[in-house]
Amino acid sequence: MGRVCTEFRLSMKPFDIVIVGGGGAGLYAAMEAMKTNPGLNIAVISKVYPNRSHTSAAQGGANAALANTAKDDSVELHIFDTIKGSDYLADQDAVEVLCSEAPKIIRELENMGTPWSRLDDRTIAQRPFGGAGRPRCCYCADKTGHTILQTLYEQCLRKGVQFFNEYFALDLSLDGSRPKGLVAMNIKTGRVEPFHARTVVLATGGYAKMYWNRSSNAAGNTGDGQAIAYRAGIPLKDMEFVQFHPTGLRKSGLLVTEGARGEGGYLVNSLGERFMSRYAPEKMELGPRDLVSRSLETEILEGRGYDSPAGKYLHLDLRHLGADLIKSRLPQIREMCMYFEGVDPIDEPIPVRPTAHYSMGGVDTDNFGRTVMDGVYAAGECGCVSVHGANRLGGNSLLDILVFGRIAGRAAAEEAARFSPAPISESELAATEQELRSYMKPSGHYERYGTLREELGQTLAQNVGIFREASKIDKGIEELTALKERFSHVRVFDTSDVYNTNLLQVLELRNMLDLAETVAAGALVRQESRGSHTRTDFPTRDDANWHRHTTYTLESGRPKLGFKPVTMGRYELQERTY
Amino acid sequence: MTDSTMQQNEGKREVTFRVHRFNPQVDTKPYYDDYTIKLEKGITVLRALNYIKEHVDPSLTLRAFCQAGICGSCAMRINNMSKLACTTQVWDELDKAKEPGVIKVDPLRNLPLIKDLVVEMDPLVGKMQHYSNWVESTMPEEEWGKKEFLVSGEEFLKYDKATDCILCASCVSECTILRANREYVSPAVLLKSYRMNVDTRDASHDQRLADLVKDHGVWDCTHCYRCQESCVKHIPIMDAIHGIREDAIERRGVKDTSGARHAEAFMDDISKKGKLVEATLPIRTNGVGWTLKNLLPMAVKMVIKRRTPPPPPLVKASKGIETFREEFREMSGHVAKDHEKQSGE
Repeated sequence: MGRVCTEFRLSMKPFDIVIVGGGGAGLYAAMEAMKTNPGLNIAVISKVYPNRSHTSAAQGGANAALANTAKDDSVELHIFDTIKGSDYLADQDAVEVLCSEAPKIIRELENMGTPWSRLDDRTIAQRPFGGAGRPRCCYCADKTGHTILQTLYEQCLRKGVQFFNEYFALDLSLDGSRPKGLVAMNIKTGRVEPFHARTVVLATGGYAKMYWNRSSNAAGNTGDGQAIAYRAGIPLKDMEFVQFHPTGLRKSGLLVTEGARGEGGYLVNSLGERFMSRYAPEKMELGPRDLVSRSLETEILEGRGYDSPAGKYLHLDLRHLGADLIKSRLPQIREMCMYFEGVDPIDEPIPVRPTAHYSMGGVDTDNFGRTVMDGVYAAGECGCVSVHGANRLGGNSLLDILVFGRIAGRAAAEEAARFSPAPISESELAATEQELRSYMKPSGHYERYGTLREELGQTLAQNVGIFREASKIDKGIEELTALKERFSHVRVFDTSDVYNTNLLQVLELRNMLDLAETVAAGALVRQESRGSHTRTDFPTRDDANWHRHTTYTLESGRPKLGFKPVTMGRYELQERTY
Repeated sequence: MTDSTMQQNEGKREVTFRVHRFNPQVDTKPYYDDYTIKLEKGITVLRALNYIKEHVDPSLTLRAFCQAGICGSCAMRINNMSKLACTTQVWDELDKAKEPGVIKVDPLRNLPLIKDLVVEMDPLVGKMQHYSNWVESTMPEEEWGKKEFLVSGEEFLKYDKATDCILCASCVSECTILRANREYVSPAVLLKSYRMNVDTRDASHDQRLADLVKDHGVWDCTHCYRCQESCVKHIPIMDAIHGIREDAIERRGVKDTSGARHAEAFMDDISKKGKLVEATLPIRTNGVGWTLKNLLPMAVKMVIKRRTPPPPPLVKASKGIETFREEFREMSGHVAKDHEKQSGE
């Protein structure tokens, strides 16, 4: 790969902040950092144009106790719902930050132009969401994430944020235990370029795409930021907690928003029963996601699902809501059902089954987004504060990326002056380029990335999916080890420098494989059932032994396990029923 | 493909994807590669292209991210129409194919080509910046987060549909003006500008409008409706463009720019005669000086070829002009109402 002007770049003065990822968390961090100190030199690098980021796919909305719809809602109630929803694994001080900042940040977004849907009194509309005691989810039809992302991107353009679009972040460059910055590949040229940085904010989104076909995520939600941190020796936290969304479309795994149930949709089995009455008699379809997903999976396992070549499924029935409501409040969902399932929800029930959707785990951070490494921060789905604990509530993920994106941006801006990074050496860049080139070398025996990726998704879904048990997870770990070995023979067939997506896919697979090991390791060690993590061989929550976070640090190629206490507060441990 | 082979393959059909290829490091000009694969019903073009990339030719290069029709990455020209590959069914395209069983896949037009099906998006971002495609809040930044603006459902509906835009650039690719002039503002940016201009929270309406009426701006559109036809989110983009024009005439007057004067001359002719008085249209639009300087050579050629439009006195009012004038008056009265309704849909 030709590298032309590295010398020039090396002499460049370091960025004060390099933000990796241009979704909600990254853009909010950039905006807040510029607001905190307009004199700072800030770069956002993203492997896609920021407006393509997966924040755009969040349909339902963002929770905030504005008390516009339900006058008796309060921050307190939001805190309690979130902690209970997390199965008491969330850190209560962090949840307090999340929920008390929520009304302010939703109004801030409103003030800068987000087109929220409105109530008759012209205030921001709110609707009910799973696991919430009040209708608290602020929305813009079923395109909430899309409109938030557009607003943030627009505002970043207004403020003149420097974007490096279509750059793929490879690794932190380290000076002992201190970052010198980041090494990234310019996708359009194939060149490896240094980004010297006083601080780095990782905001690359989640890792649930490792479940591949059983995932609602975008192709690029491959945990790049988590993998970068992990390889640099920064601990990850609670990786075993992967949320399955109850209503993925049968064929593609794409998501039908919880808003569809919020608006009154029914879940129905092949006997025509609204089966949620068995599992959450009070909340019914609006139980929390982990519980509803398990309910669907149980219905399927016990033979009350529908059968199809694409697998067993259940029905999400919206027909009784009427054409008008479906068209005005769930237009995107209707379109998706027609495009991907050939079903118009006005006339027919939607075929659904649970799909991997969200990673509760991520880079271990404090309440300011700081990791254990000075100058390195993480925010949004990439980080784990933790506000979602063992199970995230619907409407809290958009909120998380906004609140903690902003906090991390501010922290990085305030602390940047403390750090003065050493230069990234020429030889380091050359070595990285060499490594990338090595994937393209012809060899006798080779593996195709597509096959490995397919098998990775399958083994995770089968062995580390919704229902887990020791023997299955053991099998999963064995298969993951074998996949990693086979990955060392993976071959990139496209040898060009310009826009080499074949190489990108391989690099993304490398990240997923690194992280999959931590997910499986955590699933095996946590001998209890809590939130999204369900062990059939340990079916109950075990607070005495497992009311704690798990952490993973890379040591001689394997995840080394550690533990961290959960920060408690006003709320004592209780049994979690809905 | 015959019926018997189709049965043998249990409803699968053989499909050829004729894909535009270009690698700037190797190729001097683009060419096409044919990939023939067997597919069942229900497969999208994106899935088919991904299959080709994984199993046939790993060097085939395209953008794709969410694969659910919301991120806008995979816009490309399929059978000569720009659309999202992820929401386009292969079998639907087979019905439209010119050559049986062949689906043609090209990159978007009007944006610089990078490789195969990937085009440069920076020009679009640059235009969004040029036309301040953001809300410049009327509230000072220090005040943000304290209280909501109160926005009526009615006002929300004015920009609701426009905020569906995912910047996939299908409209950019289909725009006929952009094909002639890459400096042109482009439909997506007009849509976004309109969305900002009707938002009462925005403070830079006048400045944005001033930029939009300049050269390469809103008056350059020729109403071909290709943008609206190709919009993957079915946004009535032309309503937005008309909306900006009406706003421009209302706020800045009919004498403001040549675009506005042109529109006025048009209206004037139609209401008086039911047809255009073409001979004087350039003068009324751009003035005598401009017309002499720019159109005289063409006028001379037209005279030589006997293609000159009739002089104004010879342009007789159309038949039934009285009835038409009445309808025209009635129509003008309804225009405002109509627009309200359309933006509400």
